[in-house]
Amino acid sequence: MPLLKVDGKEFEVESGTTVLQVAEANGIEIPHYCYHPALEIVGSCRMCLVQVEGMPKLQVSCNTFVSDVSSDRKVDGKYDMVVHTQNDLVVQERKNILEFLLLNHPLDCPVCDQAGECYLQDYSFKFGNAHSRFEENKRVRPNEFLGSQIVINHNRCIMCSQCVRFTQEISGTSELFVEARGYNSKIAVLEDNPLDNLLAGNVADICPVGALLSTDYIHKNRIWNLKKQPSVCQDCSVGCNVDVFSQTDQILRLTARENLDVNGYFMCDIGRYGFHRYEEIDRVLQPMVRKGDSFESVDWETAIQKTVDLIKKNKSKAAGIVSPFHTNESNFLLGQIFKDVLGSLPPITGEEITYPSGFRISADRSPNTRGMNDICDRVVEDLASEIETQGIRTLFILDDGIDRKLDDKWKKIIGEMDSVIVLSYAMTDLAKLAHVVLPGHAPLEREGTVTNDKGRIQWLRPSLPVKVESKPDWEILMLVRNALDKKTEHFVELGEVMKKMGEKFENYGGITFFKVGDQGYSINGKIS
Amino acid sequence: MNTFKPVLTEYIDQKDCHTLPFYKSIGGYTALEKVLTMNPDDITQEVKDSNLRGRGGAGFSTGMKWGFIPKDSNKPKYLINNADESEPGTFKDRLLMNKAPHQMLEGMIIAAYAIGCHTSFIYIRGEFYQEYKLLEQTIAEAYDNNILGQNILGSNYSLDVVIHRGAGAYICGEETGLLESLEGKRGWPRNKPPFPAIEGYLQSPTIVNNVETLSCLPHIINRGASWFKSIGPEKGPGPRLFCVSGCVNNPGVFEEPMGVSLKDLIFDRAGGIPDDKQLKAVFPGGSSSAILTANEAMDVMLDFEELVEKGSMLGSAGIIVMDETVDMVQACLNIARFYAHESCGQCTPCREGTSWLVMMLTRLINGDGKPGDIDMLLEITDNIGGLIDFSKGSFGKTICPFGEAVAWPVRSFVEKFKGEFMEYLPQEKVVA
Repeated sequence: MPLLKVDGKEFEVESGTTVLQVAEANGIEIPHYCYHPALEIVGSCRMCLVQVEGMPKLQVSCNTFVSDVSSDRKVDGKYDMVVHTQNDLVVQERKNILEFLLLNHPLDCPVCDQAGECYLQDYSFKFGNAHSRFEENKRVRPNEFLGSQIVINHNRCIMCSQCVRFTQEISGTSELFVEARGYNSKIAVLEDNPLDNLLAGNVADICPVGALLSTDYIHKNRIWNLKKQPSVCQDCSVGCNVDVFSQTDQILRLTARENLDVNGYFMCDIGRYGFHRYEEIDRVLQPMVRKGDSFESVDWETAIQKTVDLIKKNKSKAAGIVSPFHTNESNFLLGQIFKDVLGSLPPITGEEITYPSGFRISADRSPNTRGMNDICDRVVEDLASEIETQGIRTLFILDDGIDRKLDDKWKKIIGEMDSVIVLSYAMTDLAKLAHVVLPGHAPLEREGTVTNDKGRIQWLRPSLPVKVESKPDWEILMLVRNALDKKTEHFVELGEVMKKMGEKFENYGGITFFKVGDQGYSINGKIS
Repeated sequence: MNTFKPVLTEYIDQKDCHTLPFYKSIGGYTALEKVLTMNPDDITQEVKDSNLRGRGGAGFSTGMKWGFIPKDSNKPKYLINNADESEPGTFKDRLLMNKAPHQMLEGMIIAAYAIGCHTSFIYIRGEFYQEYKLLEQTIAEAYDNNILGQNILGSNYSLDVVIHRGAGAYICGEETGLLESLEGKRGWPRNKPPFPAIEGYLQSPTIVNNVETLSCLPHIINRGASWFKSIGPEKGPGPRLFCVSGCVNNPGVFEEPMGVSLKDLIFDRAGGIPDDKQLKAVFPGGSSSAILTANEAMDVMLDFEELVEKGSMLGSAGIIVMDETVDMVQACLNIARFYAHESCGQCTPCREGTSWLVMMLTRLINGDGKPGDIDMLLEITDNIGGLIDFSKGSFGKTICPFGEAVAWPVRSFVEKFKGEFMEYLPQEKVVA
C-alpha cells in the first residue's frame, strides 16, 4: 500500500484513494466546493489545491490519486507522495480563490437562509481575507424558479456545478445545465423541462452556498434557532436517514443524512415535505371514550380501565391489528397482549421508482412492514375473512395514521364490531369508529426501532416534544398489558421492551439503541 | 535563408491547387502508398526521429504523443484533426485547408495508420464555413478514389473521416475541451491525467493533432526524417507557417524554416511597418504569448527554445505587430476582453478573474484608476495564471492552460509598458 505523508503525518492508504479522501478521513480539513463524494470529480472550484512535492503546480486534492511509485521516485526513499495542506503557498492560494469567489457574491448573509451552514461563510472566516479589493460593480441577476419548489439566487452561486451533476448522475433527469460561458455562466433549466423530479429538493441540500433554496423553507427561520435531530424518514420502506430541524413544537424542514448503506446522501421530496401533512390534522390529545354518536374526553385511568373492560368482556373473541407504520416495539407489545395478533390492514402503496444511481422510492409507503412481519408470529394474508372465520368481536387496532383511508368494506367490518379500541394520534376514519381512542404519538414524535425492506434496523428518534396528554405508544400498550394481567413484568423504559423483544426474536437478539446507533445495522444473514 | 523553398505552401498559388488531380500531379498520395506497406511503429519512429513538434501551440513532440497510445488496448483508437484554429493572430490552418486540403488529408491518413485508427474526425472551427464545404468535397473526392473508405489503395487498411463543426468557442481548440465538444457535451476541458492518448474521445485512446502538424507528415515520409531535421534548429525543426498581422505593410502567412529571425519576418517578408513608424511590441506566438518589446524582438529567432528563454513562446506562430501609435493599455484591454469572453467558466480563477481584469482596465482607461491598481493587476494575473517563472516551470492554477494564456500576455503588457499604464492614473491621485 502506498505511503503518504500529509503535513508531516504518515498514512498508509489504499492505492487509488484521493488526497482529499485521506485528509477527510483523518481530520485534516481541506476546504472544497465542487467535490461531492457521490458525484463525478470535476476539480473546477480550485479550492482544495494542495502542494504535492515534485509537482510544479498546486494540485487539486480531490483529483490527486495516491498510488505506488517506483522506488527511484519515492520521496525521502519511502514516501509515494508528500503533500502539504497548510504551507504558505496553499494558505495564500485559498485566500486568492476565496477572493475570486466573493467578487460577485452579494454578502447578504443577514437575509440568507444558508447563513450558519454556509461553506462560503465558514471558509471565508477560516481561510479568507478580511476585506475585498474589488471596487467594480457586482454582477446582479434576478432570482429564478428552477422548478416549482426550487429557487435559485444567481448572485450567491459559485458555479460548483454540484446541482448540475446531481440531476445528471443521481436523478438521471438532467434538468439543470450551465448556460452561457465564463463570467456570464449560470445554472439554468429549459422552460419545458423544469426541475420537478421527486429528488429535486436534494439540490438545495447539496448547494454549498445559499444559491439553491427550497421554497418550503425560504425565509422561515435561522438555522441556529433550530434543533437538529437525526432520525429516519417514515414515508416509505426504504427508511432514508434524515435530520429533522425543529423549533419548539414545529418542524421546519427535513434534510438527508448520510448513510451509505441506505440512502447515500439523498432523500426524496415525498419524505422531505411529508411532515407538512401532520400540521393541519384533527389531532387527538386526550383519551376519549365513545358516548352515543360523539366522544367524551376522559383521564388516562378511565380510558385504560374502559379498554381493559372491553377486552375482558369477550377475551376469546378479541384480537389485535398491528401496523407497519408503528415501531417494532409497539407491534411487539401488542403481540404480547394478544397472542394471536391477526395482521394489518391492506398495505398503503404508491409508485415504485428506482433512479439510475440506484436511489429508490419504495412502492410500500409504510416504514416498517418488514419489522412488523418479523416481530409478529402470525400475520394473515386475508385479514377480513380471518376476522369473519374466527368470529372476532373486539379489536385493538394500532392505527396506521392519517394515510389510512378506510373503504366501505372495512368501515362495515369495523363498524359491526362490539368493541373497537384504537391507538392513534388523530381523529382518522378508523378512530371515528372506535369506542375508545388512546392518544399516541405522531410519526416524527415516536421513538423506537423500525426495520426497512432490506432488513436494516434503524433508530427512530423523537423530533418533537410530547403534546398535552398523549403518551408514547409503547407506554400506552404497556399500561393496557399490565392492567389486563397484574403479574406481568412492568417496563419503565423503552430499552427494556427492546431487550424483551430481543430475547423473543432471534433476529433482534441483543438489540439496544446503542447497537442500532445512527447508522442502523442489518439483520440480513441472521434470518433463518 | 533565401535558399529555403516552401514545403507546405509550395503550390498554393497554382490554379485548382485544392483538387485531387492537381495534388496527384505534384506527387500527392505517394507518401500514403509508401506508408501502407510500412509497419505502423516504423512510421511513429520516423516521426519521432524527425523531431516534429506540434504546430497548434503547445509544441509537443508529435512522435512522442503517438507513442503514448497503449499498445495492449482493445478499444478503438481515434485521430482528431484539430482545425479549430481560433488563436487571435493565427490564420495558417485556414490557408492550408483552403489551398492544400489533400496534403492535410494525406497527413491524417498517415497518422491514423500509424496509431491504428479507423475513424478519424476533423474538428473544424464553426466560422470556417467555406473551408468546411471545401473539405466535404475533398473527402468525397478521396472516397471516390479509394483514398478513404474500405481497403485504401488496395491495402487492407480502412479509414473513415468525419467532419465535425465547432459551435464557436475558443476553448474547444484545447484538446480535451475539443473532445468534450465532439462528444456532444459542453466544451469544458478535462482534468489531466488521464491524457487523451490514454482516455480521449469516448474514453478511448485518442490523438489530437493540428492541421499544420498533419500537413508536414507526407513530406517527412517522402523525404525522410533527416531532411526534416536539417531545416532549422534540431530540437524543433521543419518548415513553419508564420502568420504576420497588425501594423505591417504586407500581412499574411509566410512559410519559413523554424528559427527564422523575427526582424527579417517583419521587415522583409511582411514589408515593414507602414509610414516607417517605429516598432513598439510584438506578440511572437498568438495572443496567448507574452509580448516582446521592440528591443527584444529585434534579435530574436523564432524557435521554441529561444522564445522560452525570452519569457515568451512560439505558440501558434501568430505574430501580431504593434507600432508606436498603439496604446498599450487599450491593447491590453482588447486582449483581456477576448479572454474574458472566451473563458469557459469552469474554474473559479479564470471565470471571475478574467472579467475582473477587464473591469479594472476599463476603469483605468476611463480615468478612475487608483495608485495601487497597477500592482493589483499584476497580482490578479498571477492569481489566475500563476507566477511566470520558466526556470521552475509554470505555476498554472486552472484545469487547462487558459489561465496562463491570459496571465502571460497581460502581465507582459503591464510589466513592460508600466509607464503607459501609469499615465492613465489621474494625476492628482498619483501625487497624493
